[in-house]
Amino acid sequence: MVLKAVRDGMRRVNGAPVVLASVLVLTFLLALPLGLVLRGMLGESLGASLAADTAASGVNSDWWSTFASQASGLAVTFTPRIIGFGAVASNLSAVLDAQPQALVVTGAAVAYLLLWTFLVGGILDRYARNRPTRTAAFFSACGVYFGRFLRLAVFAAVGYLVLFGALHRWMFDVFYPWATHDWTVERTALFLRLALYVVFGGLLLAFNLWLDYAKVRAVVEDRRSMIGALIAACRFIRRHPAQAVGLYLADSLLFIVVIAIYAAIVPGAGTTGSSMWLGFALSEAYLLLRLWVKLVFHASEVSLFQALLAHASYVAAPLPVWPESPSAEAIGRP
Amino acid sequence: MRRWLQPLVPLLLMLAIGVAALDGQRARNAPRQKARAAAPPAAVPAQSAPPTAAAAPGSLSPRNANYLIEARLDSRQRMITGREWLTWRNITGVSTSELRYHLYYNAFKNTRSTWLRERAAAGRLSRPLSSLGETDWGWTEVTAVRLVGAGDAPPIDLTADRRYVAPDDGNTDDETVMVVPLPRAVAPGETINVYLEWTSQVPRTFSRTGAIGHFFFLGQWFPKVGVLQEDGWNCHQFHASTEFFSDYGIYDVKLTVPKGWAIGATGIERETRDNPDATTTHRFYQEDVHDFAWTTSPSYVVKQARFEQAGLPPVEMRLLLQPEHADQADRHFAATRAALRYYGQWYGPYPYPHITIVDPAWQSGAGGMEYPTLFTAGTRWIAPADVADPEGVTVHECGHQFWYALVGNNEFEDAWLDEGFNTYSTGRTMTLAFTPNYQSFRVLGGFVPVVMHDLPVNREVDEDGLPSYREGAKLDAQSTPSWRYWPGAGGALSYSKTALWLNTLERHLGWPTMQRIMSTFFTRWKFRHPKPQDFFAVVNEVSGRDMTWFFDQVYRSSNIFDYAVSDLRSGPVTASGFFDVKGKVDYAAESPAPGRFRTTVVVRRLGEGVFPVDVLVTFKNGEALRERWDGRDRWKMFTYERATEAVSAQVDPERVLLLDVDYANNSRTLEPRGEAAATKWTLKWMSWLQDLLLTAAFFV
Repeated sequence: MVLKAVRDGMRRVNGAPVVLASVLVLTFLLALPLGLVLRGMLGESLGASLAADTAASGVNSDWWSTFASQASGLAVTFTPRIIGFGAVASNLSAVLDAQPQALVVTGAAVAYLLLWTFLVGGILDRYARNRPTRTAAFFSACGVYFGRFLRLAVFAAVGYLVLFGALHRWMFDVFYPWATHDWTVERTALFLRLALYVVFGGLLLAFNLWLDYAKVRAVVEDRRSMIGALIAACRFIRRHPAQAVGLYLADSLLFIVVIAIYAAIVPGAGTTGSSMWLGFALSEAYLLLRLWVKLVFHASEVSLFQALLAHASYVAAPLPVWPESPSAEAIGRP
Repeated sequence: MRRWLQPLVPLLLMLAIGVAALDGQRARNAPRQKARAAAPPAAVPAQSAPPTAAAAPGSLSPRNANYLIEARLDSRQRMITGREWLTWRNITGVSTSELRYHLYYNAFKNTRSTWLRERAAAGRLSRPLSSLGETDWGWTEVTAVRLVGAGDAPPIDLTADRRYVAPDDGNTDDETVMVVPLPRAVAPGETINVYLEWTSQVPRTFSRTGAIGHFFFLGQWFPKVGVLQEDGWNCHQFHASTEFFSDYGIYDVKLTVPKGWAIGATGIERETRDNPDATTTHRFYQEDVHDFAWTTSPSYVVKQARFEQAGLPPVEMRLLLQPEHADQADRHFAATRAALRYYGQWYGPYPYPHITIVDPAWQSGAGGMEYPTLFTAGTRWIAPADVADPEGVTVHECGHQFWYALVGNNEFEDAWLDEGFNTYSTGRTMTLAFTPNYQSFRVLGGFVPVVMHDLPVNREVDEDGLPSYREGAKLDAQSTPSWRYWPGAGGALSYSKTALWLNTLERHLGWPTMQRIMSTFFTRWKFRHPKPQDFFAVVNEVSGRDMTWFFDQVYRSSNIFDYAVSDLRSGPVTASGFFDVKGKVDYAAESPAPGRFRTTVVVRRLGEGVFPVDVLVTFKNGEALRERWDGRDRWKMFTYERATEAVSAQVDPERVLLLDVDYANNSRTLEPRGEAAATKWTLKWMSWLQDLLLTAAFFV
């Protein structure tokens, strides 16, 4: 059942390549303005200096440290950690260690989350129907579910706040220092920390799983009450724990495989010219795969739910028409 | 011990302990009271071997502060009870009527100590003081002080007369310096013997000394006499920015620890005796050192190796390693070998036949610290082979055997004389011995390293610490006594600034001259206490140049250096306006002269620091013109007419002046080249940002 859902999820994602390409483009477009601002800063710093030559052919750590010493705002995020796999490792570690990001980057992340909150309704609707729905219908679905998912997002935000603001803080800032206060063996402390990551990560994933199925049920069953969707999602997971959790873990395995592949082939600093663009293309390919995995999560969960409680491609709501207001519908009728 | 004395020892000990207990009780109540009525003579336990009163012929150092110490560690209570016989000789030309002792553990006594006040003021407390438990604090209580008379003269009890002073900041709550008034002045050349008993609470490892779990590292743990100089006692309080200073002598130390615990200490172990109370007494002995530190733990893995290098004396290396680092023994030995080899070849041989390397326990805070013939390194459980972290700290701390242990500068006042010299030397050694060496950072709570293979560690920027210096360049002038530095400035000024200006000096004078300077200074001042001007004098003497102008800037000021090429223009030679043509002033608008190009280069001095620099102008045909600029004026313009356009201009092209805080502005190209590099790095950054956004998208 789990593998079938994974395979079906992949098929549904692959069957809607425009969705995948679009989210990649949107991700790129969101990063682009900030990138252009940074490029201006870097260009100004390197300017007509010979330091630009070494910065172009590799890493000029001397210039970099000078730039960092004068950096503020967006520029403080330009650190050597952006090179190669360090970027991925530091971003994942920042989540697990609840490390705050620079304000401007946090702002971009919030905007991205809002964008996803808008898009996810359309994406789930597309995968649930399992057939092309055209752009208008896609965005109609986005509009239909945006308000509902915003309400769900409030609940999710509270939940994540409890997880990161209270539980994580207690586990890693109170319990961990207390437990390791007199430890003299680093290895033991690392194992404890890894165990805490597993516990915290487990709770985080469980909460995420719950929210995922709330969204799935909201779309497939056209639920308007998000509290009802959350209760229904809880009921579904309780009744099918092995399948729900197994699927989540199988999808997580895909994520790990993608990360591992990227770790093996990740481009380093590189030089300018064609190798620069090749490196960027490789990074974008990795991001595409990350997005693909994310979409497979959604699609396979939809598939599993439909297989267990409904039937393939079942969606309660008719294909939405935009705008969905009664007056607009009245205008549309002959 | 003399045989006829042995039967008397237990009796004398019991008597001494009884008297000490009474004295201690009395003293604890009023340590700050001034002199009382003279105490009755009290017994002094017999010494197991009298310390040498005068430097023996052929001794390496003056040996004017010799210690015989007996200490017992109660590992459960984290207490040390000890007694010491100090034989002290006045090697100055002035008399003194008091002794001054350092009681460093009192820096950890409470939040009112100068050390903790300064650290708190600078925000350098690793964790809130409120989290410290009762057993985490430390202190030293001297319970008996007696002046031992010569021959049969009875000892004079000075316990009640001792008091604390705060010569640096007047902090009446600071108890890190104890004064013991003497009944009569000690004349130049005269020797006195002082017996002292004390009890210490070993702190939880606060800062390089203390205990955690069963790991004990005990540095600055015994009452240590200050240094008498011509202008009086040099015995500073313990400060946030400083380390230590003391006279050379012989240390004969008996340490009693739980049986079965491994022990490492300054010197060579001469004797081991198991006691009936499940303890073992170890006797360590070392001549010509100015401090004594030790460590003990039941967990150490002990390894031995030998340093052998043609032209240098062999050294037995003893490594006390944490079990979880057992596979890193070779890395520690290799780094120690590198330091002994290169420092020995450049400056002078390491004179002791042994050295002890201590790998401290995790969270002990005892890593990266130097003591005579013993030092602490520091590594991690996951230590990638291409990141020379254990090597770096090992080379540095081993290097302190030369700069600190042998050349014994005053670390309270001139910490840069050892820390900076050693940082400079570490950079040289690491570059020669440990490449490739990449930068790294740690994720997942700081445990898991990520190696950045695109960023090799660079001597000039990373080893010498240019970023650190850049941040703290203006915090203090280096000539400010180190103990008065702003607490966060020590790293930037003592370590980085010195390493950078020494490396600058090396590039300015050339390595052969620099090597002669350093070896001359080392040879001349080993086992002595040099001052900054002693080094400056050696530089001037050996280089044959008066470098006072240089030291005025790098040592006596906080000026920064920043040279820049502010303008580069190059184009066809043209002229317009009124010209004398055949005796007549006439207007003419000249067209560009074919094949003639005028190049103008403007270089500026943006910082206050002045240093002679070269200016290199490169032309399209490959021609390169080099100019010498004394660097004094705020700007200088160079103009050339050539058959071709210029390509670039550089000030200080060989980067002699490593103190230049912004080297990126030291060059200019006619055609901007920054765009391609900016695009490359922007794409990298955008990949990172998109990955971050995708990671955030997990939450939706």
